[in-house]
Amino acid sequence: MEVLLGITGKDFTLVAASKAAMRGATILKASDDKTRALNKHTLMAFSGEAGDTIQFAEYIQANAQLYSMRNNIDLSPSAVAHFVRGELASSLRSRKPYNVNLLLGGVDPITDKPSLYWLDYLASLAPLPYAAHGYAQYYCLSILDKHHHPDIDYEQGLKILRMCTDELKRRLPIDFKGMLVKVITKDGIKEVEYDDEARIACP
Amino acid sequence: MAAMFSQNPLMNGPNYSFNQAPTTASGNKQHGFYPYTDNGGSTLAISGNDFTIIAGDTRSTSGYNINTRYAPKVFKIGGTTDSQDDATLVLSVVGFAADGHALKERLDAIVKMYRYQHGKPMSVKACAQRLSTILYGKRFFPYYVTAILGGLDEDGKGAVYSYDPVGSYEREQCRAAGAAASLIMPFLDNQVNFKNQYMPGIGEGHALAEREKIPLPRNEVEDLVKDAFDSAVERHIEVGDGLLMMIITKDGIEEIFKPLKKD
Amino acid sequence: MDTLVARYSQPMFEKEYSEEDQLELCQPTPSLSLKFAMPPIAQPSAWLRAATDDHANPNCPIKIAHGTTTLAFRFQGGIIVATDSRATAGNWIASQTVKKVIEINNCLLGTMAGGAADCQYWLAYLGMQCRLHELRHKRRISVAAASKILANLVYSYKGMGLSMGTMCAGVTPQEGPALYYIDSDGTRLSGNLFCVGSGQTFAYGVLDAEYRYDLTEKEALELGSRSILAATHRDAYSGGFINLYHVKEDGWVKHGFSDTNPIFWKTKLEKGEFSNVTSELV
Repeated sequence: MEVLLGITGKDFTLVAASKAAMRGATILKASDDKTRALNKHTLMAFSGEAGDTIQFAEYIQANAQLYSMRNNIDLSPSAVAHFVRGELASSLRSRKPYNVNLLLGGVDPITDKPSLYWLDYLASLAPLPYAAHGYAQYYCLSILDKHHHPDIDYEQGLKILRMCTDELKRRLPIDFKGMLVKVITKDGIKEVEYDDEARIACP
Repeated sequence: MAAMFSQNPLMNGPNYSFNQAPTTASGNKQHGFYPYTDNGGSTLAISGNDFTIIAGDTRSTSGYNINTRYAPKVFKIGGTTDSQDDATLVLSVVGFAADGHALKERLDAIVKMYRYQHGKPMSVKACAQRLSTILYGKRFFPYYVTAILGGLDEDGKGAVYSYDPVGSYEREQCRAAGAAASLIMPFLDNQVNFKNQYMPGIGEGHALAEREKIPLPRNEVEDLVKDAFDSAVERHIEVGDGLLMMIITKDGIEEIFKPLKKD
Repeated sequence: MDTLVARYSQPMFEKEYSEEDQLELCQPTPSLSLKFAMPPIAQPSAWLRAATDDHANPNCPIKIAHGTTTLAFRFQGGIIVATDSRATAGNWIASQTVKKVIEINNCLLGTMAGGAADCQYWLAYLGMQCRLHELRHKRRISVAAASKILANLVYSYKGMGLSMGTMCAGVTPQEGPALYYIDSDGTRLSGNLFCVGSGQTFAYGVLDAEYRYDLTEKEALELGSRSILAATHRDAYSGGFINLYHVKEDGWVKHGFSDTNPIFWKTKLEKGEFSNVTSELV
């Protein structure tokens, strides 16, 4: 019941993740951050098996940062995505594979092109204009199919994201405690103030 | 080994059906009730402007064995004589031959009773609905068959009704059923309904103009049926031996038998 | 000794077919008594599941058609009912031209999700019961009553393996536009908006985002059709044609049975939607 959403636009990438940290039938924390910044222009959101998620995310984060320090330049989002895929693929063939699904949002620091990569625990990699993981796929992809255009601006992007999170609040049987939203632009990663208080009722 | 194939009950023990010998005096042991088998084969029906063709191969199999090379799956329904040469409806059944036979006998009896009680032959539309309720009557113990019913409708146009084992039905232009349905049906979609065929030189990209749908003449449909079965025989082990076609027109039902490859 | 003689002097299959049964077998009109043949074993439902439920037993011999997207919603101008037209049996597309909107009578519609035969048969049966109600009471049945007949009926077969998720839509003078959801578990709900089937979530996504009760007729028809299109695009078990109906006070009106493929390309190319579908290879 974890929600991951990603939307690209004209000059930005939005990444949103649900704030609930759940174990069985309990919500342990209602302000969880399921994202990690890999470098100035790349953000990774993750869901999956408890434990695996943060271990893997921070391992990737450390390696991406190590690369930046050694080479005095950040990896591009595309390069990070392919690196992560490689790590997931070798993990998949190891004795104990990581069970992690990822969204990787970024803006290329050279071309300023926004990008979004969808990865699952089987190390599938797909660059997409918009993506989701988990149950959010079933409800949000059809909304995004209809309302997304590649050249939308930030305000329109937020509006579409709002349509998606409203639908999830309306139809998902479990409260995911709202969304943590971050935006990546050429200026870096920023958390977005996202109002989660509204109650959405079924029509 | 010889005993295995022997039909002599003394060699095999008593020949119980359902492959299940009753255990002595224990009424509530029920495991292993499996009254079905698949006898293979395929059927096919296409309706035209003033005719309907229903065809089926005549091979009957069980597993890799061929039971017989001539067991028709296409039957005339109704009529007033023993030979049923004045019948107007045709039923094809494929799947479990025994259920198919039972279903055919039952529908035939009902259609004949209808004529006796109403003094007129049953329309395909009525017969189609009745066949659906017969199949649904065994919803909890289904006839393991896929049925196709063919005839001419009130306007004299060809009509084909196809069924699932528990009686959901739909009138269609054409339908293939049975073992080779997945081989024949795509061919029919393309050649009868002209699916994925577009007018040459008209439109670009995704604005293609679909090929105009025209009802096919009888000789072309006959050739399609023969080609479909020849192809199915090439690629499916349960189809072969013979092709029995029934062609329903306003003049009655014409029967054509065409030998198929027997390997 | 007498019992021994009695046991062996009776024909073995005497009770297989009684005379009554034999007579019924050749009746041209089906009986109204709802008698169904049962397999001669102690647990018919378990046996049926093994033979027909490809979810419980993927190698089941009898494949029953499943997989669908259907939706219906109430709005100011009546009720919109829309469905796809694909029937699947496992991975095999059994038909692309199924009529999943069932015309119960000229002012009541039913939708079909789950077992095709179950829906067809029981909604036809419901049509009969509605007509009998009209004849007995000299007025049309309410949608609430009609849906309850169906709900009670399927509830009486609970656990026997019926599989149906259906919506009853109708407009009556007493109720106005009324919409009910009924499924084979026995659930019966009234509501403004329902989507049923494997593609339901995708349809809900598009529908919820723009649904209002005061939609115009044109907007409502477009939204219904677009929601089905969304579901056929994302759900592999849905596809074929979009079947669109509008239920009004003086009966229902059919708004076409249209191929999804040209509609998809028209929507993509003219409105710029479905931007995930690209012709470039990345």
